[in-house]
Amino acid sequence: MKPLKIGITGVRGIVGETFTPELAVDFAESFGTYLDRGRILVCRDTRPSGPMIRSAVLAGLLAVGCEVVDLGICPTPSMQLAVKSLKADGGIAITAGHNPWQWNALKFVRSDGLYLNSTQGEELLDIFHQGEFAKAGWDTIQHVVHTADAIEEHVKALSENFAVDAIKSKKLTVAVDCCNGACSFLSPKWLAILGCEVLAVNDNPNAPFPHSPEPKPETMAQLCAVVKAGRAAIGFAHDADGERLGIVSDLGEPLSEEMTLAIAADIRLGKKSGTVVTNVSTSSAIDIVAARHGGSVVRVPVGQAYISEGLIEHNGVLGGEGSGGITVPEVHLTHDSAAAIGLILEYMAQTGERISDLVAQLPRLTTLKHNVTVAPHRLYSVLQEFRSVMEQEDIEIDSTDGIKVTLPDGWVHVRASNTESMIRIIVEAEKKEAARELLDWARDRIKR
Amino acid sequence: MRAIPTLKISISGVRGVVGQSLTPKLLTRFAQAFGTHTGSGTIVIGRDPRTSGEMVKHAVVAGLLSTGSRVIDIGVCPVPTVQLQVRQRRAQGGIAITASHNPAEWNALKFIGSNGLFLDSGQARELLDIYHQGEYTKVGGAELRTVEEVEGATDSHIKAILDALGPLPQTQKKLRVVLDSCNGAGSLVGPRLIEALGAEVIPINVTPDGSFPRPAEPVPENLGDLCRAVKEHKADVGFAQDMDADRLAIVSDRGEPIGEDYTLVLAILHVLGREKGPVVANLSTTSAVADIAKRFDCPVFLTKIGEVNVTDGMQQHGAVIGGEGNGGVIYPRINFCRDSLVAIALVLHLLAETGKSVTELREDIPQYTIVKEKMTCASDRIPSMLRMVRQEFAQYPMDTRDGVKVILPDGWLLVRGSNTEPIIRVVAEAKSEDRAKAMVAEVIKQLSF
Repeated sequence: MKPLKIGITGVRGIVGETFTPELAVDFAESFGTYLDRGRILVCRDTRPSGPMIRSAVLAGLLAVGCEVVDLGICPTPSMQLAVKSLKADGGIAITAGHNPWQWNALKFVRSDGLYLNSTQGEELLDIFHQGEFAKAGWDTIQHVVHTADAIEEHVKALSENFAVDAIKSKKLTVAVDCCNGACSFLSPKWLAILGCEVLAVNDNPNAPFPHSPEPKPETMAQLCAVVKAGRAAIGFAHDADGERLGIVSDLGEPLSEEMTLAIAADIRLGKKSGTVVTNVSTSSAIDIVAARHGGSVVRVPVGQAYISEGLIEHNGVLGGEGSGGITVPEVHLTHDSAAAIGLILEYMAQTGERISDLVAQLPRLTTLKHNVTVAPHRLYSVLQEFRSVMEQEDIEIDSTDGIKVTLPDGWVHVRASNTESMIRIIVEAEKKEAARELLDWARDRIKR
Repeated sequence: MRAIPTLKISISGVRGVVGQSLTPKLLTRFAQAFGTHTGSGTIVIGRDPRTSGEMVKHAVVAGLLSTGSRVIDIGVCPVPTVQLQVRQRRAQGGIAITASHNPAEWNALKFIGSNGLFLDSGQARELLDIYHQGEYTKVGGAELRTVEEVEGATDSHIKAILDALGPLPQTQKKLRVVLDSCNGAGSLVGPRLIEALGAEVIPINVTPDGSFPRPAEPVPENLGDLCRAVKEHKADVGFAQDMDADRLAIVSDRGEPIGEDYTLVLAILHVLGREKGPVVANLSTTSAVADIAKRFDCPVFLTKIGEVNVTDGMQQHGAVIGGEGNGGVIYPRINFCRDSLVAIALVLHLLAETGKSVTELREDIPQYTIVKEKMTCASDRIPSMLRMVRQEFAQYPMDTRDGVKVILPDGWLLVRGSNTEPIIRVVAEAKSEDRAKAMVAEVIKQLSF
């Protein structure tokens, strides 16, 4: 299997194998052509391939006649905010998010700061495949402008949306693991503005990732130790580009990444009832939490663009996914781990409650995630065959994204990954045993 | 008739028109091929101030980094500065981003080996093979290295020149120099060098913004502004650089271009006056080179045309100075390539140390006139054309290493096919302009028959 995935969410691969500078140049030219030139922002996370991919992207954008603003190392949500404030026509984030450090990817942002939706993603791919790009002549070619202001502006936007003074007055001790990623500047700065005593680890953007940049319990051992040793009120774990957030409670317990949205929803709906937008793969804990507060849940396909569009359509009060990505609509309509931090600390400051107390009241379900590697040419056939099996067994299918079925003990969701050649199986049940049985049940019905 | 190509990939590098053929993908692939060829070492890059330079640079950086090369970006600077930096930093190679004398819509990559010289034809063929085979070294993860943006490369270039030649001797009156950098890569460093040497400089066309205030070739018909400025400011000398600052033309104190052949002659005059040794030039260079060398009892060796051939010959013969008649001066004690900054320093030293004016020096040198013409000729007809020349002039001595050069009693005649265009070039040199013109006309008449 070649580690390369070109799709409506962009292009993603392993540098040194499949993700070549030519590919990055081509996609940058495609995007510049798609936007009919204009001003494009570029940011990157801290992967060692970042400078190489950045140069390729700048070359491609300049060649089609774009004016390029290079934000340097900067979280993706900071760039998305800056697209709006700098009146840019779009942006490219050079980051493979939660993928291992050997990976890199390009993610495409439109002029309202949101990711391209699936139709726009298809249009961009058509231009890429046609291979005919706009070309700037010597007299129309533009320059690259460098600015590092996006993070400052981001912090300012956050400050305007949360009760900074209330949080400040509590002088909370907060541990944070930036994974030496793009949040290494933003997160400690934001916490300092909130008057926190910051216990930061892995906040050196020049150092390699200390662990997988996926914030989940397996990667949070160091953060747990820091929370305990520093008697912190809470610990936060970032991914590489500032979208996903993992949480360690004041007891030093690493929480499942599925809990981040449940916590955020409990806080948000407790203040303001309304609709939470999440994807079909996310834990049912969100449904229970919403029901408690008289709110509702809308489920969309997996992917940030769907969350953003769902929030607009349903006038949602919160968006998020089971991966730990949280969208606070007042800040902007895209995942932003710094906004999630603001939301949680504001609650702690205003109520004086401990995070462990809040967590204790949340439903605890068992969610199991399993990946089945499949040859790229079989990826969607395997899914179709699973659907046929469900139909033969007369089980009702939710096909919002892949195939989701609800059984007496819980639910099973089977879908093709957007980023890798694998089938993702997610099951959830109240009891561990039942969840294991559901997973076995699903695996038995998937024929590679 | 075939369309006129806007892309030229050859052993001299890759050259094309931005917005047409010179795409970032092509450039990044060439950089990958070069990174592969040099074994993923340290590569110095620099560029002239063309508007497309930044795009080309980023494409090159991406390609080099992807092969695991470490990149040192010295920014906008003369090509010879890149070459000097490759040697000073013991880099494995360099890429100069410049289309030298081509118009503004062109750009190009020129590849430099670890010795600071342009790739020779063998190395260039290897590079082209790698490019066409399309299999490049790919590295990922921790093997990827970074690009370092370095300032001050031109300062160390100036320092290298001052270390070798020293400042100008103190004279009663400072030399007054007008410098026309063509808004090119020499715009910033040229005036600083002249001041550092201890002369007064009046710069014109020193805004490196990618605009071309005149055609880039420093030939007499393009030097009107400079000639006027020299007269207006009563300057002692005028210098004209080309876009990438490797070649230099001189305007006399009377405001007249002395001919770009005479840049090399004046440089030789100065160098041989201090140290004796062999001189190397190409076989299209003025006979004044040999006359001057003879005064100092030094041998002259003529090579095939092309900078690489001249530098090869210089290494082989241990030359103390060499160059080309197009204004390219190579002084190996400082830099083993054509270097307009070195040429400026040598000529200013000559003026200051002799106390003579450019006009006086020029009058002291045997007078020749070179006349150059070209005629359209398909490449497959070139051999028969050359045979006609050989037969016609059979009674005279000949040099047939590069076309046919006929040594006549009162001058010489060179007929050669172009490597890059469907033309044949006819060059003649004689004591008088009339005679040179007559020689060229005669040959063209015969060949056109």
